[in-house]
Amino acid sequence: MLLLLLRRRLLCAKNTLLFLAPWEWVRNSAFLLAGLGLLVGLHFGFLRLLAYLNTIPLIGGLLLWKLTAMVLLATFTMVALSGLLTSLSTLYYSHDLKFLMRAPLDLRAVFLDKSLESIFFASWMIVLVLVPYLLALVRTNAYGPGFFAAFLLLTLPFVMLAASLGIAFTLALLYFFPSSRTRDAIWVLASLSLTLVYVLVRFSEPEKLVRPEALRLVADYLSYLQAPTAPYLPSWWLTKALSALAAGKTQVFWRYAGLLLFCAAGVYAGLVWLAGRLYFAGYSGAQEGALRRRPVRVERSLEQALARLLGLDQGPAALFWRERVSFFRDVKHWSQILLVLGLIFVYLFSIHRLPLDNADLKSLVSFLNVGTAGFVLSALGLRFTYPSISLEGRSWWVVKAAPVGLGALMRQKFLFSAVPMTGLALVLGLVTNRLLEADPFAARLSIVSLLVITWALCAMGIGFGALFPMFEVENIHQIESSLGGFVYMASSLFYVAATITILSWPMNMHFQERFGNPSAWNWGLAGWCGGAWLLLNAAAFLLPWALGRRALESYEA
Amino acid sequence: MIEIAGLVKRFGSLTAVDRLDLKVLSGELFGFLGPNGAGKTTTVKLITGLLKPTEGTIRVNGYDVATETLQAKRCLGLVPDEPFVYPKLTGAEYLLLIGELYGVSLEEQRRRIPGLLEMFELSAWGGELIESYSHGMRQKLVLAGVLLHEPKVLVLDEPLVGLDPKSARMAKEIFLKLAGRGTTVFMCTHILEIAEKLCDRVGIMISGRMIAQGTLEELKAPKGEGSLEEVFLSLTGGHEYSALLKNL
Repeated sequence: MLLLLLRRRLLCAKNTLLFLAPWEWVRNSAFLLAGLGLLVGLHFGFLRLLAYLNTIPLIGGLLLWKLTAMVLLATFTMVALSGLLTSLSTLYYSHDLKFLMRAPLDLRAVFLDKSLESIFFASWMIVLVLVPYLLALVRTNAYGPGFFAAFLLLTLPFVMLAASLGIAFTLALLYFFPSSRTRDAIWVLASLSLTLVYVLVRFSEPEKLVRPEALRLVADYLSYLQAPTAPYLPSWWLTKALSALAAGKTQVFWRYAGLLLFCAAGVYAGLVWLAGRLYFAGYSGAQEGALRRRPVRVERSLEQALARLLGLDQGPAALFWRERVSFFRDVKHWSQILLVLGLIFVYLFSIHRLPLDNADLKSLVSFLNVGTAGFVLSALGLRFTYPSISLEGRSWWVVKAAPVGLGALMRQKFLFSAVPMTGLALVLGLVTNRLLEADPFAARLSIVSLLVITWALCAMGIGFGALFPMFEVENIHQIESSLGGFVYMASSLFYVAATITILSWPMNMHFQERFGNPSAWNWGLAGWCGGAWLLLNAAAFLLPWALGRRALESYEA
Repeated sequence: MIEIAGLVKRFGSLTAVDRLDLKVLSGELFGFLGPNGAGKTTTVKLITGLLKPTEGTIRVNGYDVATETLQAKRCLGLVPDEPFVYPKLTGAEYLLLIGELYGVSLEEQRRRIPGLLEMFELSAWGGELIESYSHGMRQKLVLAGVLLHEPKVLVLDEPLVGLDPKSARMAKEIFLKLAGRGTTVFMCTHILEIAEKLCDRVGIMISGRMIAQGTLEELKAPKGEGSLEEVFLSLTGGHEYSALLKNL
C-alpha cells in the first residue's frame, strides 16, 4: 500500500515536470540559480569563518566543534518545530486526505505516507543550508569525501528523529484536544518559538567568535567550550560521531552513529504504532469546526464610522472592514506577522552592531539602507500585497456582482497594504537613521525615498495582483510562485535598484560637498535625477495599476 | 425587468450563448432550463455583470449592464450555484457587509438582519464563522443576503440545491411572494417539477440557443405532452438514454 502511495507521488512529480510551461522553466531556473548563489555565498562565508577558527592556537579545534554542535542543535530545534507545524497541515488538513481516508487503505499506510511527507517538507530546506557548512568543514580540515558521505548518511536519522518528535507532539495534542482551535493555537505557538529561535541565534552574536577582542573571553571560557552542548539530544550524538570520524576514532564514530540509527528507527516505529491508536481520533476531531458562540451584533465598524465622518463612500469602507476582520482571524497571518517582527528586530540589531566609527560611512550606510529595506518591503509585498486580489478566492462573485467599482476595490486593497507597510518603512528608516546618527541630508533622503518606494511597491503589488488574478488556488504559495508573482518580484527588485541608482547621484554630490568641494552640486544633473525619479515612480504607480484594472474588469470567472 | 437582445458569448471557438433574445417582465417568475453545458450559468453571469458579452445588450430595470454597470448592479440580487462566501466572517457580518455594499441603512439592517437569520433558522449560527457552515446553511445565508437589500431583479442559479425540504419550501414561497410584489425573478434549475409549479414562463436552452420559450401550456401544446419533463426530454433528445442503458 505504501509503495502504491509513494508511486503516486513520483507520478505527480513527473507530471509536474513534464507539464511545466516555458515561463515556468525560466522562473524555476532563475529561482534555482538564485538559491545556488545563496548557498555558494553561505559556503564561502562559513569557509572564511572556519579557516579563521582553525588558525587560533589551543582552542581553535574546540571552537570548531563547539560551533558545529551549536549549528546542529539549532538545526535539530528548527526541524522539530517545523515538523510540528508541517505535520499539522499534512496529517490533518491536506486536500487529498478525504480521498485517502475513504479509500480501502490501512490507516498506518496513510500515516506513513503523510509523516514521510512531513519529515521531508520540515527538513529539506534546513538540511540544504547545513550542506555548505559541512562542506566548509571538510575543506578547511581536509577531511575527505568519506567524512561528507558519513554526514549525509547520518543526516537522515538525525532529521527523522527531530521531525518525529514534532509529529509525536502534534499527534498527542490533536488526540487530546481534537479541534481546529488546537490547530490555530499550535500554529501560533510554534511560529512564535521559531521566531524566538531565529532572534536568539542572532542576539547571541555569533560574529564575536571571529573578533580578536572577543577571543580573550572565549579563552576564559575554555571549560565551557569543552562541555557538551545538550548531551542527551541527537545533535550532540551527530557532533560526536563526526568529530570521532575526523579524529580517526572509528569505534567511537560507530557507537554514536549506531545510537542515532537505532533511536531513529525505534522512535519512528513507536510513532507509527502510536498513530494506529491516536491518528484517526485526532483526524476526525480536527474536521469539526470550532464554535465560538459569538452574539449577533449589527453595529457600524470603525471604518464605516470614519467614512461617514469624512463623507466617503460606505461600500469601500465596508470592504476594508471585511479585509481587516478576515485578515486577523486567519492565524496563518499571525505566524507571518511574528516572523516579520523577528526579522525587524534582527535587522535593526544587525544595523546596531555594524562596526562603523566614521560619520561619513554611517551616512552612506543610512542611504544604502534604502535599498536593503526596499528589498525587504518587496519580499513582504509578495507575501501580503500581491496575493490580496487573488485571495478574494471563490467569494469573488460577491464583490463582482455588488455595486462597487473595481477601482474602488483596488484602492481599498492598496490602503490596507500601504498603512502597515508605511509603518514598517518608517520604523526601518527612522530607527536605522537614529542608530547610525546619519547626517540630516542622508536621513531625509532615505526617509522620503523609503516612503515613496513603499507606496510604489504597494501600487505594483495590487496592480500586478489584478493583472494576474488566481481565484481558484488552494493556498497562498501558489499565488506567490505564479507567473504574476515572478513578474511582480522581478519588477519590484528592478524598481528598487533603479531608485538607488538614480538617487546615488545626489548622494554623491552631497558627499563631495562634505569632503570640502564647494562646487559639488551640479543642479542640472540633480534636476535630471529628480525627473528620472519622477518618471520611474509614475511608471511604477500607473502602469501595473492601469493594466491590472483593465485585466480585472475583463476577467471572466 | 430584464431585456436581452442579440446576446452572444464566445469562449474562443466555443459559442456558449448564441443570439439570445429574451424579455422577463416585472413580477414575472421565469424558469430557465437546459441540460448541462447548455449555457445557463453563462447567461446568469452575463446578466449579473460577472462576464462581458461578446455581442448584444442586456438591460436590467432599464440600465445597460455594460455601460451603466453600477446602477444595474444596485437593482440586482444574485444567488449563485455555489454559495462561496468569506469563510472568516460570521453569518451576521456577511449580512452587514451586503447591507453596506447595497446601501441599506444601518437602522434597516439592525431591524432586518436578526429577522432574516431567524427566518432561515440561522440565529444560533449568526455569530459563527461561515467556514463552519454546511453547504445548505451557506445557501440560506446567501438567500438572506439577497432578501436584505430587496433587489428589483432576482437572479437564481440552482437556488434550492443543498436546502433541506423545509427551507426549500420556504424559499419557493419567498420567490412567489417576491414576484407577487413586482420583483423580476429569473431562475435556472434542473428540477423540472419546481419550474412547473412556480414559473409563469419557461425557456429551454440547448448549446447556447433558446429553442423554446413560453408558458407551460404553450410549450405542451404542439405535441400534447403531459408534463414539463416530457416536453424537456422531447426537445433536448433526452429519450435517447434508454438505448444507452442497455449497455449497462
